[in-house]
Amino acid sequence: MKKYKQFMLLTGFMLCFSFTVQTGITLAHITPPVVLISDRDAVLSMTQGAKKFFVREVRLKPEEREALRKELGWQADEEFYRFYLGRDDQGKIVAAVAFMTEFTIHGPVRVAVGLGPDGKVKGAKVVELTEETYPWLKPLLDQDFTQNYIGLDSHGNFTVVGAGQAGGQENMTLFYGQIVANLIQRAAALFDIAVLKRGDI
Amino acid sequence: MKGVYLSNLPLSAKVFCSLFLLGIGLGSLAAFTQAATAVGLSYEDVKGSLAPEMPMTHMGHGQMSMEKEIDIGQISNTAKVWIRTPLLIQTSHTHLFGQTLIAGLLGLIFLFSSIKEWKKALILALPFIGTILDIGGMWLTRFVWQPFAVLVLMGGSIFALGYVMIAVISLYELWLKKGASV
Repeated sequence: MKKYKQFMLLTGFMLCFSFTVQTGITLAHITPPVVLISDRDAVLSMTQGAKKFFVREVRLKPEEREALRKELGWQADEEFYRFYLGRDDQGKIVAAVAFMTEFTIHGPVRVAVGLGPDGKVKGAKVVELTEETYPWLKPLLDQDFTQNYIGLDSHGNFTVVGAGQAGGQENMTLFYGQIVANLIQRAAALFDIAVLKRGDI
Repeated sequence: MKGVYLSNLPLSAKVFCSLFLLGIGLGSLAAFTQAATAVGLSYEDVKGSLAPEMPMTHMGHGQMSMEKEIDIGQISNTAKVWIRTPLLIQTSHTHLFGQTLIAGLLGLIFLFSSIKEWKKALILALPFIGTILDIGGMWLTRFVWQPFAVLVLMGGSIFALGYVMIAVISLYELWLKKGASV
């Protein structure tokens, strides 16, 4: 009986120890995100033809921030913004890619936006959202709705259409679709103001 | 606790305490799976997710723009979850409330344990301390010093240690301790 008790105690201790270690690491917990594509894959898919890659980081001047606020109602208050540039053999820009994020009440929505040297949208991919927002946005993602904005510059029409198959959740689908569309427009405006208008291409 | 101990609680209270402890344990296992898939379980994973974004170009103070050639391999090819400040605020408030409530309910059960008072005080403090270290570590990693990521892991471990000790001692006293009445 004594041996049985010792065996049970030892087994219990080992179970508790392994559980403690596992659970400890677990409690570095985070709100569940859904990441659809890596940054590298997003950049590669939107800079086809590029031979060299560069990173361009820009700080906005007060008047540039004000212009973005007036134009889009967007408070661009990050310390700096980053573009990944793909250039050809002659050093000309093939495309620039910006990652834009909106922090919603349901978590972040992050989009990669490819822009041509003329400032027009070349492509866009939703990179990250959350377990809550993914089902709402999925009907539009299935339609590849970001393709609707290809060829637009920052002054184009970035409204969402085609949420009709959202199965009774059209409002949330439209809401988050519009957030993605706005992020694409912001990227185009940012590239226009912080790169093209500075003549720094 | 004035003669009221886990071992002599009525059956309904014992069932309640046991199922609550079981539920929290299962919740922790679910959290483990989620953390493993979403962020990763190593110090580097936690640090990488919480650390602030640093310029890649070493743009100097006052410089408005800088460009640098990179290798495509420098851009992350893993689907990394990067926790920015708004998400940190969201995570902090939900988990501070949630974990403190859990710690409080665990402590409430453990108050009726018959172990020595100083041991009881020490053990029931662990989940609270773990919670503060865990969430505090996230903020320190982001805004003070990246190696503070170790506090996040330590905090989680201390919370878990507290939970396991409370659960094991409580379940023992509820069902196995001599004199336990069912």
